[in-house]
Amino acid sequence: MRDGIRNIKVHAIVLILVIISEFIGVHSFKVGPGTLVLLPMLYALVIGAFMGPKFLKAVNQKDMVGAGSLVGVTLMLLMARYGTTVGPNLPAIIKSGPALLLQEFGNLGTLFLGIPLAVFLGLKREAIGAAHSVAREPNVALIGDVYGFDGPEGRGVMGVYICGTVFGTIFYGLMATAAAAYLPLSPKALAMASGVGSASMMTASVSSLSAMFPQMAEELQALGAASNMLSGLDGLYMSLWMALPASEWLYRKAYRVKYGTEPERPLAEGGK
Amino acid sequence: MKFSEAIAVLIIVAVMSLIGNLVGFHNGIVESLPGMIFLVALCVAGIALGKVVPGNIPNVAWIVLIGCIVTYPGFPGSAVFSGWVKKVSFLSLTTPILAYAGLAIGKDLDLLKQTGWRIVVVSIAVFIGTYIGSALIAQGVLTVTGQL
Repeated sequence: MRDGIRNIKVHAIVLILVIISEFIGVHSFKVGPGTLVLLPMLYALVIGAFMGPKFLKAVNQKDMVGAGSLVGVTLMLLMARYGTTVGPNLPAIIKSGPALLLQEFGNLGTLFLGIPLAVFLGLKREAIGAAHSVAREPNVALIGDVYGFDGPEGRGVMGVYICGTVFGTIFYGLMATAAAAYLPLSPKALAMASGVGSASMMTASVSSLSAMFPQMAEELQALGAASNMLSGLDGLYMSLWMALPASEWLYRKAYRVKYGTEPERPLAEGGK
Repeated sequence: MKFSEAIAVLIIVAVMSLIGNLVGFHNGIVESLPGMIFLVALCVAGIALGKVVPGNIPNVAWIVLIGCIVTYPGFPGSAVFSGWVKKVSFLSLTTPILAYAGLAIGKDLDLLKQTGWRIVVVSIAVFIGTYIGSALIAQGVLTVTGQL
C-alpha cells in the first residue's frame, strides 16, 4: 500500500480521470420505454481500464497493483457518506425492516439460476464455487476454507470473483436501469436488492436508480446501503448453511439430468 | 494497514472528490469543505475503533455505524451534520474509487481470459439471479405489508 500512496503518477492519472468524468457528467438516454443512465463513475472505470499495458500503456504492472491496493481505503469515504444517508432515514428503514430482511434470501436465487446453467455448459465442480453466491470477498474466503483454492471449486469462485471485479460494477448499473424500466418492480425493491455484499456494485445500481427517480434518491441510497450491510453480516453464514448445501444438492440433480450418471465424489470433503 | 497511510489516502481522495464535486455538481469547494472534513473524521474514528475494539470487526462497519448514529434524528447536532454532508454529492465520492479500480482492472484481464467464456456466462447468470431473486422477495413483502 505504501508504494501505492507514493505513486504520484497514479494519483495524477486518477485526478485527470475524475475531472474528465465529472465534466462529461450524468447522461440519461431514452431507450424504448426505459432510461439508460450513464454515470461519471462508469466513465472513470472504463477509461481507467484502457490505461493499462494492453491499450494506452499509461500505467504499468506496478502502477496497477498500487492503484488496486488503495481501493479498500478509498471506499471508506463513500461508506461514511452511506452512514450519514442511513442515519436520517433510519425510521423509514426500520419500517421496511421485514422486506429488507427477507430479501436477503433472494441471494439464493443465484444458485438456482447459476448451477444448472454451469452444469449445462459443461462445468463440473467448478459450478459449485462459481454459482453458490455472487462471489465477493467473504464467499471467496469461505470456498477457500471449505474446499481449498487449488481445486475446481476454488477455480470457479475465483473466476466469478474476477468477472465481478472487471465488469460487475458496469453490469449492476445497467441491470438496475433495465430492471426499473422493463420489469414491474418498484425502485424500493430494486434498491434493497442492490445490496449483494459489494459496495461498488451496490453503488452502481443505487446511483442509477437515484438518477431515474431523483425524488426518492435519498431513500433509495439508504435502503441500498442498509441491505448491503445486512448482506455483509449474513452473507457468510447464509452461504455456509444454506447456499453451499443447496448447491451440492442441485449440482447432483443437474449432473444426473445432463450426464445420466452420479457425479464423482468431491476430492476434498472439507479441505481443511 | 498503518493509521498514517490510511489518513494519507483519505485526504488524497477527499481532495479529488472536492474537485469532482465542483466540476460535476457545481458545489463550491469552500461550501462542501465542512462536510468532507466531517466524512474524513468519521473514517478516522471508524479506523480507530476497529483497532481498539477486539473482535476483528471491519473498519467500514464502524464507519457506517458511527455515520448512522451521529445523523440519527435527535442526536445532538444531527441536523447540522446532515446539512454539511449533503453538500458533498454522493456520486462525486464514487468517481475516484472507480478510477482507481479501473486502473487496477488491467492486471485482472489476463486472468479473465484464462478462466474462459463459460465462467463469464455463469457470472452474468449469478449477477442476474441474486438481483432479481432479492428484488422479487422485496417487492412481494413490500406489497403484502402495504408499503408501495
